Formats: sequence, structure tokens, C-alpha cells
Amino acid sequence: MTVIEQSGYDYQLEIDRLRDRFQFDFVSLALVQPAEDRFVLTWQYASGNHNERFKRIVLHSGKGVAGIVFKTGKSMLIQNVNADIGARDLFNFPIIAAEKLKSLGALPLWVEARVMGVLLAGFREENRMNPAVFNDFREQLGVTLGAFRIREVSQT
Amino acid sequence: MITMTGDRLSEMLDKLYRNGTEAIFFMDQKGGVVGMNPAAERILEVDVIERIQSGIDDSFCQTCEGYTDEQELMSCSRCYLNYPKGEFSSFQVYLRTRDEGIVPFAASYHTIDEEQGIRVLMLLDLTKQLKTQEMLQRNHMLKYVIKAQEDERKRISRELHDSVAQELLSSLVDLRVLKYMNVSDDVLNKIQQTEQSLTRLLDDIRHLSVELRPASLDDLGLEAAFRSHFKWMEKNYGLLVHFSAELAAARYSNEIETVVYRVCQEAVLNALKYSGLDEVYVRLWEENGGLQLTVRDEGVGFNMFINEAQGTGLGLYGMRERAELVGGQFTLTSSAGAGTTVQLSVPLSQDVMQEGDRS
Repeated sequence: MTVIEQSGYDYQLEIDRLRDRFQFDFVSLALVQPAEDRFVLTWQYASGNHNERFKRIVLHSGKGVAGIVFKTGKSMLIQNVNADIGARDLFNFPIIAAEKLKSLGALPLWVEARVMGVLLAGFREENRMNPAVFNDFREQLGVTLGAFRIREVSQT
Repeated sequence: MITMTGDRLSEMLDKLYRNGTEAIFFMDQKGGVVGMNPAAERILEVDVIERIQSGIDDSFCQTCEGYTDEQELMSCSRCYLNYPKGEFSSFQVYLRTRDEGIVPFAASYHTIDEEQGIRVLMLLDLTKQLKTQEMLQRNHMLKYVIKAQEDERKRISRELHDSVAQELLSSLVDLRVLKYMNVSDDVLNKIQQTEQSLTRLLDDIRHLSVELRPASLDDLGLEAAFRSHFKWMEKNYGLLVHFSAELAAARYSNEIETVVYRVCQEAVLNALKYSGLDEVYVRLWEENGGLQLTVRDEGVGFNMFINEAQGTGLGLYGMRERAELVGGQFTLTSSAGAGTTVQLSVPLSQDVMQEGDRS
């Protein structure tokens, strides 16, 4: 049972569009995999990627950008990778290292009050992603992205 | 044995006094210096010698910093100069020297002329011996610390794997059974969500256990442990490790396997952190009666003659230390723009191999 199959939504087209619309250098989408793959979280779609390294990475809850967003259910903003992470710790954020991102934001994607995916958008220049740009991005995304909700809905 | 007498004896003693490397001081009853040989003069500070020779102050305390007793490294309690009856045939004393600061000496102090109360203090520089001893002790200590660390990791790793993960797995099975019972859609949905969380949690715990110390290293040997570790590196960091193993024996002694595994682990992690690339080449083989390991990347490299450590600098130190523990040789070659290669060569003596076969 994957969310993607159910919806028949073209996520690749959607993130290509988002990248174009907001002039991001890189957009990627991580999704929780079906039971056969033990429900791991992997980067499934990318737009503007330099290489295919991101496809090899299986994300662990609480580790890396997607892992932290996934575990906390909170969005994450890194305005300046060089200042906020530092070279010594960078290897713990493989997607940032592989794609040479310098500023980025990541959002949790919700299905029934559970984080089921992570949407990441970034620039290869410092400070291009800032609170204003990030908020604007979030606002304009609207309420849903395919089968996902952008904002958490409290369980009833 | 020949007992010398007369002129011959005087001549020999004179030579010993003048040319010997042992420093000799003659003291009177009050601990004043009445004479010293050239070796002794070389030790003392110039102004101290002047004061002693001119008779302003002939006490030995000007240069002595104390001797080592059961309580302290440098002690002045029950000073050997004032306790002629104390046991001072062999002890360690610290002196303030001319060129090298405070230096330990092996000393012996005894009376040679009962009537006039003349005693002799003979000193031998101990610096070298102490350094050797210190290194020896440090190596023993390091070996012990590393072993303790590995043992503790092994224990926690086993505990996680055998106990925590097993419990979790049985809960997960229970949960899966629940899905096939007569429950409402709401409950079913919730159960599925919980199943997902628990499945991921189980994986996390297994990873944690392997990260601490892979059970496969103890149960299956180096090659198997490496293969699963590199797979994990690929999944976790997107790092591609090209691994080739050409090993004659499947198993080696536990100590060697641990060293090779840890050195390789560190080297691969270094490549990931600093090479700037996402590919590493690891080769493991036997040659010249030794186990050889190379970890090579074609990344940015660095200038080996400039210390511009990007990390803590402890990684390289640790790898070298571990290699020494099994008598192995560790070499690192790199230059800017030409990648980095780490080589480890561990000698396999015959008995070590047999021991490995048994385990």
C-alpha cells in the first residue's frame, strides 16, 4: 500500500513545476516505502539534481534533513549550510553534501496525522532560502500535495 | 675475581672518578658537599657549583628537589642526607640540572668513612629508562582501554540484538495478528501506523547494534562484516564502496580482525568526510605472510607535510595505535589533488593463524 499508487499523482511533474516556479536549484521528495521495504523513508523524486547519489540513501528517523523532519514533524530551515552545519558534520547530511546545497528548507508531508513524506527545496548559494522565502513557499503550496497534506490536521 | 691493590687500584679509581658517566658527590655528616667529580659538575647549575666551591653554601639541597618515597614522587620527609640509618642503597632522586630542568636520577647513598663521617652519593641519569618504561606502560594501557571498549561495545550490541530487538519483534508479530482479528477500520488503520513505526524502530535498533560492533565480525569474519558494513554505508550516506577480498583463510585471530575492521571503518569514514567523492576502493588480501588492507579514494587528497587537520586529528592517531597493537604497519599517502590511500599490513604468524582457525 503506497500513498503514491493510490493517488496516481505525478510527483515528478509537480516538483519540476515547483522548482521552476520558485527558482529553486534543487527540489526532492522523500516518501515512506511500502511494507515490502520495511516502511523505510527514501528520496524518490528529485529535480535539478547533479547526480543519482540521493537514490542510494535510505533515511533513518532522526538522522539527516529528512530524518529530523520526519521524526519531529516540524519543518526545518538551514539558511547557511557552511555556518550552521560545518564541514566536520556535513557527512551526516548526505543529500546536502551530494547536491552541494548551501541553503535549504524541508517540510513534513502528512497523511492522517502521520508524517509520510518530506519535501525539500534548496539553493546552491548561501542565504537564498530565508524565513520569508520559506514561508512564501509554504503558503503558496496550498493545503495538499498529491495525497499529502502540507499542514498537520489534528486527529479527531 | 682479582682484588686490586696499591697504585693500580688508585689509578683505576682515579679514572672512574674522572671519566665515569656516573656522577659522584662526597658529603660530610651535615649533608655538605666536600667534593664532586666532572660528571657531577656537568649536572649542576654553574652558580650552584660556585657557591659550593667558594663555601658560601655547600648544602646539596640547592639542587635536590626531593626523592621518591612511598607517598610522593618528590619528597623531602626523612631526607636521605639526615637519615644515615635509613635504607638508601638504591632510590630515585630529582635534581635541578643545568640544561634539562628537573631530571630523575637513580641514586645510592652510603657511608664510606665511618670515622670522618664521609658519605658518597652516586647518581645515574634515569630519563631514558623512565621514558622507555612510560611508553611500555602507555602501550599496555592503550591495549587494555581498546579491549575494554570493544568488550563493552560487544556486550551492549549483543544485548540490543538478542534482547531488545527480540522483544520488539515479538510485539510486532502480535500486532500483525491483531490485524486479522475482527476490528473496525479505524483501529485497523491505527494498527497499521503503529506497525510501521515499530518496524522502523526495530531496524534502528538493529543498526545501532551493528554500528556498535557487528555480530558478523565475531560469527562470520572480516569479509562478511565488511560487506554488510559497506552496504550500510551506501544506504546511510550514499557512499559506494568497491570492495574486493582475496583471503586464503576465512578467519583470523579476534584481535587482528578487530584491528583491521576498525582501521578500515575509520579510513572509509575519512574518505567519505574529506575526499569530496562518493566512491572508495577497499582491497583486502594476503601477501608475504601478512594480511593487507588498502583503502583508496581518488578525491581531493591533502598535503601530508602541512598539518591542516579538518577533523580532530585523532582518527589517524587511533588507526596507527591500533595497527601497532598487533604489530602491524600503517601508512598513509596523499597529496593535494591525487587522492588518499591508507595501507595496513598485519603480520600473520603461524600460531596466530591456527588460533584463528580454532575460534
